[in-house]
Amino acid sequence: MASTTDSLAASPAFTFSASTFQKLHPTEYFRKFISQGVRPDGRLLDSFRPTTVHYGVITTANGSAMVRIGGTTVVCGIKAEVAEPKLDSPDQGYLVPNVDLSPICSSAFRPGSPSEQAQVVSEAIHRVLKESKVLDLKDLCIEEAKAVWALWIDVVCVSYDGNIYDAALISVMAALLNVRIRKPTYDEGIVKVPGGEAINDENSFKLNLTRIPLSTSFVLFDTDLTLLADPNFAEESITQGQISVTIDEHGRLCRISKVGAASTSQSLLKQCIERAKIRSHELRSIMNQQ
Amino acid sequence: MDRKRVPGPELSVAPLVEYPADFKRWTPQDECRHDSKRQPEDMRPIYLKTGLITQANGSAYIELEKTKLACGVYGPRPIKRVGQIFSGRGILNCEIKFASFSCAKRRSNIRDPQERELSQILSQALAPAVRLEKIPKSAIDVYITVLESDGWGSCVAAAVTAASVALAHAGIEMLDLVAGCSASYIQTAPLSISSLSISEGDTGSISTSTTNTNKTITATATATQPPQIFMDADFEEEKYQQGAIVLAYMPSLHEITHVLQSGKAESSTISQSVEHCMEACNKIYAVMHHALLESIGENKEAL
Amino acid sequence: MTSVADAVVPGQRLGHIQEYNAGEGTYAHQDFLYASVVGIKKVTIADNEIPTMSVQRENTQSAIPDINAIVTCKVVRVNPRFAAVNIMVVDGKPCTDDFQGIIRVQDVRATEKDKVKIYNSFRPGDIVRAQVISLGDARSYYLSTAANELGVIFGTSVAGGSLIPISWQEMQCTKTKVIELRKCAKPM
Repeated sequence: MASTTDSLAASPAFTFSASTFQKLHPTEYFRKFISQGVRPDGRLLDSFRPTTVHYGVITTANGSAMVRIGGTTVVCGIKAEVAEPKLDSPDQGYLVPNVDLSPICSSAFRPGSPSEQAQVVSEAIHRVLKESKVLDLKDLCIEEAKAVWALWIDVVCVSYDGNIYDAALISVMAALLNVRIRKPTYDEGIVKVPGGEAINDENSFKLNLTRIPLSTSFVLFDTDLTLLADPNFAEESITQGQISVTIDEHGRLCRISKVGAASTSQSLLKQCIERAKIRSHELRSIMNQQ
Repeated sequence: MDRKRVPGPELSVAPLVEYPADFKRWTPQDECRHDSKRQPEDMRPIYLKTGLITQANGSAYIELEKTKLACGVYGPRPIKRVGQIFSGRGILNCEIKFASFSCAKRRSNIRDPQERELSQILSQALAPAVRLEKIPKSAIDVYITVLESDGWGSCVAAAVTAASVALAHAGIEMLDLVAGCSASYIQTAPLSISSLSISEGDTGSISTSTTNTNKTITATATATQPPQIFMDADFEEEKYQQGAIVLAYMPSLHEITHVLQSGKAESSTISQSVEHCMEACNKIYAVMHHALLESIGENKEAL
Repeated sequence: MTSVADAVVPGQRLGHIQEYNAGEGTYAHQDFLYASVVGIKKVTIADNEIPTMSVQRENTQSAIPDINAIVTCKVVRVNPRFAAVNIMVVDGKPCTDDFQGIIRVQDVRATEKDKVKIYNSFRPGDIVRAQVISLGDARSYYLSTAANELGVIFGTSVAGGSLIPISWQEMQCTKTKVIELRKCAKPM
């Protein structure tokens, strides 16, 4: 596509409406905006879309959260179930994050087994949870070598408009903060939890999170590597590469990923990290508001 | 084994919930509904909004207290299926998906037969209202995600309502909107212990408290007494239902597009419940009407 | 300015069939006229005729090709019998999902049809303006470029430069000045 766009102005006889032009030449349409320092949705290059976090939206889950970043909406629900621990780690529970990009959220996704993108995001979140040791898995032990909690962390994308990794990670962390599990008792192979009265501090426990990693994503546009923060769907589909920086609340890096064909310089990467620090600070204050 | 998802333990179960001995559970014999604010003929308040899914041609979100669904409509778009034949009419394709955390028991991520059945019910309930002859060779895809379910019947009904609003929001030509409504037949008269049938859906320990309350009641014959019709029953109430009905109705054309009645009921009960549901659908129609007019207002503001 | 009172939803009764003709976005059913889309109702008065009731759509349906519609499409494949295209824009409205269409060799131009060679008319990647002539087969719409204003509107040369039309069947590369053959659209 990029090669056809160098001199479109050479055929001025054909005029189109903006929406038609965007459909036929998305990159050129986009470039016209970027050259003016704005994006088609009115944002500046380094601005993020409005973000909201709501806790406890699903009552059938042990913990839940809904996160909106602009047009992207994800709901994360965590269900705690009892499972047998692995033989080599008899006192550790399970954290099983999965992201579902179902066809409801965008026409880019087809029904059936998870798309490649869904698998990539699921695995990325899995690694962040595991390798940054967000939660001591020993906290999920009920009876050593007999029973542990398995936390099924499912993220459902309701509306997709880009930047799914950031949104999914925020929703997972918010839902983990929201988790309440009734205190179990173990008796001869059966795990029981008290029912009846409403959940309170007496009969339930919260998770003790050691850190809260949050991510900030950027895309690289064109050969001059213009950095765009918080890409939407249209931007993701025409850009060359994506950089995601995951930072915890003390400013320590948890994960950096850079995908796509565009090469990056060291200074650009530093720039991303600096901006991610500011953004993750903002996100934390949004999460604490609720 | 699902290789495309992050694997968890092969087997995991919900913990057994143990209720204290003095815990009083809701039963139909209580002189109120499970949600004590409602009368038998009352529905839960409906919250309905269009346009939450930015990439979809049309969308709607519906909430009946705890029941929460999102619906997205894509199309008309080319039919992607291979081996299809030329058709002068369009195709309406519905798919409903329960989020794994949407029910009391965790659901699998893989599409199960119940979802397939519901998807078909939805297609049948909506297709009569859509002018498919206007869109030859094209398909309309309706996707529904149940975020939380509090009652199976109300979930199906809400899906019908949300889907028809989303279709209208997508600008698709329709004969009428379709409102969905559900009702359960519940025996509220004192029960004999033998006729107590509880569907033990989530936990195994509910019977202790219920039988206690019924032991004092003499075994009066209850079969002759018609059951009470509970509109828009929730999950707790559905555990006691003898039968249920889900009705899809076009309120301004006065036509029923789909009836699903299950369980045991006298024909008089059924016809009465159909009437109740039609009445309720007219109320739902007002909510749908309002939500769509609101969407017009929002478009105006955007301009 | 239209008022909210004129806003209607599908199934809303608009009037009696003897009072109005059924226009866009409406349908007649048992003596009455009903709305079939969400929008604003509008009455168009015509001479010597009963007025026409129509509903102006508020949420436009995503565009689908119809017979006689002018479409803008991109060539994806060519073979000696036809050029396969993706229909991207219908009557100035972009489609959310691309529809498939084909331009058969006999529909490329109006004259000397037997001399047409697809390869000298379209190349993959060209943007073409065409007209829908039939709903076609199960998969593709049939399109025609047999008119002056129909044909290639954008193209890329072998060298990678963009092409400028210099006659109705020749285009020139802006970089190398090499002339390539196309069925060009006459600029409007």
